[in-house]
Amino acid sequence: MSEHAIPTATSAGMPAAPLARWLGWIGQRSTLVAGLTITAVILFVGFIAPFLYPADPYAIHPAHALEGPSAAFPLGTDELGRDELALLLSGGFATLVVALPAAILAFVVGVAYGLAAGLAPAWLDRLMMRILDAVLALPSLIILIFFASLVTLDNTSLILLLGLISWPGLARLVRNEALAQRGRDFVLAAEQLGAGRMYIARVHLLRVMAPVLVVNGTFMVGDSVFALSSLSFLGLGVQPPQVSWGSLLESALDIIALDPWWLILPPGLLVFGSLLAASLTGQGLLQRWGGHR
Amino acid sequence: MIRMVGTRLASSTLTIFILVTMVFFMVHLTPGGPAYSILGMKATAASVAELNQRLGLDQPIIEQYGIWWWHLLHGQLGYSYLLSRPVGELLWQYEINTLVFYTVSIVVSTLLSILIGLVQGVYFGRWPAKLIGGLQLAFYALPAFFVAAMLVLWFSVQLKILPASGITNLRLADPGVGSYAAHLVLPVTTITLLTVASLSRYFGEAVHEELGKDYVRTARAKGVGFPAILFGHVLRNALRPLVTILGLSFPYIFTGGVIVESVFNYPGLGWLMWRSALSQDYPILIAIVLLIGILTVVGNLLADLVNGLLDPRASYE
Repeated sequence: MSEHAIPTATSAGMPAAPLARWLGWIGQRSTLVAGLTITAVILFVGFIAPFLYPADPYAIHPAHALEGPSAAFPLGTDELGRDELALLLSGGFATLVVALPAAILAFVVGVAYGLAAGLAPAWLDRLMMRILDAVLALPSLIILIFFASLVTLDNTSLILLLGLISWPGLARLVRNEALAQRGRDFVLAAEQLGAGRMYIARVHLLRVMAPVLVVNGTFMVGDSVFALSSLSFLGLGVQPPQVSWGSLLESALDIIALDPWWLILPPGLLVFGSLLAASLTGQGLLQRWGGHR
Repeated sequence: MIRMVGTRLASSTLTIFILVTMVFFMVHLTPGGPAYSILGMKATAASVAELNQRLGLDQPIIEQYGIWWWHLLHGQLGYSYLLSRPVGELLWQYEINTLVFYTVSIVVSTLLSILIGLVQGVYFGRWPAKLIGGLQLAFYALPAFFVAAMLVLWFSVQLKILPASGITNLRLADPGVGSYAAHLVLPVTTITLLTVASLSRYFGEAVHEELGKDYVRTARAKGVGFPAILFGHVLRNALRPLVTILGLSFPYIFTGGVIVESVFNYPGLGWLMWRSALSQDYPILIAIVLLIGILTVVGNLLADLVNGLLDPRASYE
């Protein structure tokens, strides 16, 4: 990455010191760097921190119930006397282990549906778009709540649920892009040369769309964490005894009259951080690639 | 114009048809069907068969699909399993609360967005606009449940100045309008904080774009004062896309509404949906899902039509 920094710094015509050059590089990409930094923090909390802080999240310490942060319990305890930091880390893993695969599933389905519609004959495309309209007419949280009440909730069903419901936005985008690119000279030339639809989709369309796909894929990861946390907050996501960021906030709200700020701020900030990480990273990438499109 | 209204109407009708069909199959494709979910742990083969017969679920699926449409077209939405009351009646009761809540929220957030958007558009590229842009990005990423919980923590628990829950003070015989209004403050603030983030951004961009157009330069060259240009021309033109965005944002306001209503125990449609989902009260759930879907399609259609009236060019797209 640092190789790219040199031409940017020298093009300014200044023999910059390494630190200044590095700061300049960061400064030009502040949004992206901020996004990636928060992403790293979130991933650290979910996947690495649980090993560094091995306290049992489900151990009950009745003598220390609902205590604020202290040396023994860095983030305090909940109303049962469980270590909030340990709960938060365990909840982070539970959240990410569902939200990340769900985002990937939604991404794959969205790209496939969008490309299929974009390359299909006009009548099929029109039908597929009307179906998309019908799905998009329902806010995804509404469909999620509806299905979550119908099925048995576990990690697999939650991944399928989130993944199979969060794709229509991306599908529409991919279809519109595919239609726009389909008429361009290089695609027409490939068609003339006898390239099949699959080949065109794979080699030309996907490659041209790659920036759009990466940016929107990034947003989808944030949306996925948010959707799962909302569901869990409503009691329709990750099920007890396993905790998650959404359900931790929900149980803190039950005893909010006791002013347990240490139970509300951390899970809320982590969901906020996940969304912020995705939106800053996506925005940062858009800024970098904006000129190329 | 008439042609455009025709095609939009036809495509909206088709969308609603697909939506209704989709919801029907959503319910009937679940493993075991509704009977198992309703009976839960108590389900035996005999009780499931009995319930299926009572609910008409033992008919062939095509016939059920026909009955489903017949009932919908006659406005029969069934009975709530748990509350044993007609769904239509229940929905109406909760809908009124939601309507009050959303109307206040939308008016407040639109006015605030216009104000913020004007500042952002006028100061585009300078620090006030950059500051606003950063705040918009941050608020856009704030989850509704977090905002709601923090507001309750600050204003209800720590400062004790605003009620945290419900629609009015039930302990008083005649709580008066003031109590209703006080109970709306925190829910409306939550929704406003969340919607203003995106709404003001769109509006700010529209203002900036309008300010760069030729008619503004002409007006300035003629010596028209900046306030007169801003409020006389730019504001009106920049408001146009807001119609579309308000139409499109309706479902998202409702989505936020489910969370907000559940946090504040505000007895609106979102709250009803949440409670019905937890207790698997399908007739209510289905009715709400259909209602939201149809309202969204109609909302988009209206936004299109209003835009067509405001800007004839839009009809030819």
